[in-house]
Amino acid sequence: MPLNQPQLDTLRALLDRLIPEDEFPGALAAGTDKFIIKLLTHDCAAEAPKIAQSLTQLDAEAIACHDHPFVTLPIAAQDTLISALEHNRTATVWPVTFPAGVFINRLIDLAAEGFYADPQNGGNRDGTSWRMIGYDPLLPARPSAP
Amino acid sequence: MSSVTSNYDVIIVGAGLGGGIVAGVLAEAGQRVLLLERGRDLRYRDIPSDHLRHHRLSLYGDNTTHAPDGHPRVFVDPQGRSRTVFPHEADYHNNALTVGGGSRIWGMQAWRFHPDDFRMATRYGRPPGSSLADWPISYADLAPFYERAEHEIGVAGDHTATDYAPRDRAFPLPPVPATPTGTWLARGAATLGWNAFTPPLAVNTKPYLGRDGCVQCRQCIGFACPSDARNGSHNTLLPRALATGGCTLITRAQVARILTDASGRAHGVEYFAPTTPDSDQTERRTAHAATIILAGGAIETARLLLLSASAQHPRGLGNHSDHVGRHLQGHYYPVVSGLLPVGFQNPNLGPGVSIATTQFNHGNPGIIGGAMLANDFVKLPIIFWRSHLPPDLPRWGQANKKAMRELYLRGIDLRGPVQEIPSPDSRVTLDPHVRDHFGLPVARLSGTTHPETVRTAEFIRARAEDWLRAAGAERVWSSPMDLRLSASQHQAGTARLAADPREGVTDPFGRVHGHDNLWITDGSLHVTNGGFNPALTIMALAFRAATKIAAKF
Ligand SMILES: Cc1cc2nc3c(=O)[nH]c(=O)nc-3n(C[C@H](O)[C@H](O)[C@H](O)COP(=O)(O)OP(=O)(O)OC[C@H]3O[C@@H](n4cnc5c(N)ncnc54)[C@H](O)[C@@H]3O)c2cc1C
Ligand code: SF4
Repeated sequence: MPLNQPQLDTLRALLDRLIPEDEFPGALAAGTDKFIIKLLTHDCAAEAPKIAQSLTQLDAEAIACHDHPFVTLPIAAQDTLISALEHNRTATVWPVTFPAGVFINRLIDLAAEGFYADPQNGGNRDGTSWRMIGYDPLLPARPSAP
Repeated sequence: MSSVTSNYDVIIVGAGLGGGIVAGVLAEAGQRVLLLERGRDLRYRDIPSDHLRHHRLSLYGDNTTHAPDGHPRVFVDPQGRSRTVFPHEADYHNNALTVGGGSRIWGMQAWRFHPDDFRMATRYGRPPGSSLADWPISYADLAPFYERAEHEIGVAGDHTATDYAPRDRAFPLPPVPATPTGTWLARGAATLGWNAFTPPLAVNTKPYLGRDGCVQCRQCIGFACPSDARNGSHNTLLPRALATGGCTLITRAQVARILTDASGRAHGVEYFAPTTPDSDQTERRTAHAATIILAGGAIETARLLLLSASAQHPRGLGNHSDHVGRHLQGHYYPVVSGLLPVGFQNPNLGPGVSIATTQFNHGNPGIIGGAMLANDFVKLPIIFWRSHLPPDLPRWGQANKKAMRELYLRGIDLRGPVQEIPSPDSRVTLDPHVRDHFGLPVARLSGTTHPETVRTAEFIRARAEDWLRAAGAERVWSSPMDLRLSASQHQAGTARLAADPREGVTDPFGRVHGHDNLWITDGSLHVTNGGFNPALTIMALAFRAATKIAAKF
């Protein structure tokens, strides 16, 4: 497991804002968190430590700015914090090798990759995002290709 | 490691597009052919439908490469920093390492080059610092072989519309069906007074050569075709070669070196292959033949010529005048995105490419060359998210999700393969440090295209914007082009044709100067790469070379 429990909780809270639920399910209901964990365990294992560390840093940032860890912040404050990270406007010191903006953009990418990719990747359960936007690969049930 | 030796009439390195074609022609001419391919022979079910790991978006891998860690390359950026890269990374400049090569998963656009694409230096002059040159052959030399490729591979098109390149015979298959967005774009082109027509695609628009027609799925380019309607070498000339009984295909076989004697004659190859087809153990083998043909794609063929240096040829085979690996080129691809008017939804019928113009291939004032412009394949949702949402939209949150919902079926984009102005400094060399799985020095890619290419690309980008606006797109946007190395899926130029051995690597048929029985039949031969997707030209050259080789027997 590339993340500890607090980091995992922060990741989930973050995903819930990056792709929130509306009339359609959001990232969490679609399993996008599991997609990211799987990726950080396998293809992107080398990247996992800095993502983990940044999730901890995000909590420190939330406490510095709003006196609460990220998970318990009201959503408006969470969104303000995410926007600030995008612009590298931070109250705490983030590593120069992996600044806040790079971290949050990476998470934004990962969330979308899981949510909009094929269901077999694990982050788009039952093709929920595809139904939402009107995509179906229309692959024949019995392909005639050898 | 044991050593096995065997004898054939012909050895072909690479069972990709060009290699598969010469294998078919020569095996049917009665030759005993050994076809060596470093990838695997993949069935439909072996090529995953993974939207993050395929040949248009290969974020964490792709869907054809076997043992990706075994085939690194080194990429040198314009600032001179080098790093090791793997097949799924953009800087690797991959095609596909599999039987069929790129044609196993390609987009099937099957264009003849424009007659002036063969005489770029004459038409435009050679810009200082570039290696722009004429081909030693003309369109007319290649026309019969274009025709053969269209019929034997299977190309669907409208022969009444492609008069930029004169033809004697109609396409064997009717063009892909019109799409609502294609019709909308055609009206836009008409208001501008531009030509626009259904582009030629190597797809079975109806059953052809024993295989099914396209079922218009929405997962086309970069994937295997569920109805085997995507025509490549793997399902046409290669099976024909194997059916003769005279062609031996060995997969997961990496050729390490071409063996030459003191006179320069190539007499065999050294290669690594699994001890048995399914084994992970490899052995080093030697095979001999009267004719050796290289078809590893523009980057690997150059690498192999360099790897085969000998006492007589210390700079590599065919490299007497220092052209091997140089002039590496592909296509700059300006992409212009837009939104269809409110209420107009794209039904996204596969393959998706349904309209093109050749209005700007040549004759653009103050510009060298140009490009064909066409609409694109059905977009996967994740590709739309990454590259085709309006740039001022938030990248996350409710607003982004809502935009995906409202705009996905309204997305439209145009793109075109810009004819590059080659540079001798855009090149493949051998890396002095990094080695592949077999201990062989890997390809090192460095340099950039010539800056004139950027100017042409910017001109084409502006025309694509004009087209979308004239059609009535609600919004239109695109990004400026920058100077960089370009090779990738359309890689070409690294062993170019030249009548004069001082000007290139092979003679006008593809025979390596100074090595009478060593041939090349892949994208390396292209002197320039046309303002069109290159594969039909690779096929035509392969048919032409194979016919020449067969005539000698
Ligand atoms: C996703 C995608 C879409 C494309 N769409 C289009 C399109 O619409 N229209 C178009 O014209 N072109 C398209 N292309 C490009 C087209 O596929 C290539 O131009 C074409 O395949 C190149 O042919 P080639 O013979 O030069 O090399 P390839 O087809 O790449 O074949 C080279 C083969 O040699 C093998 N090989 C290399 N080195 C060795 C070695 N040392 N030993 C053994 N084997 C070796 C490789 O594994 C490979 O199989 C597309 C490519 C891709 C990837
Ligand atoms: S759109 Fe047609 S040619 Fe393309 S993969 Fe689907 S069925 Fe095959």
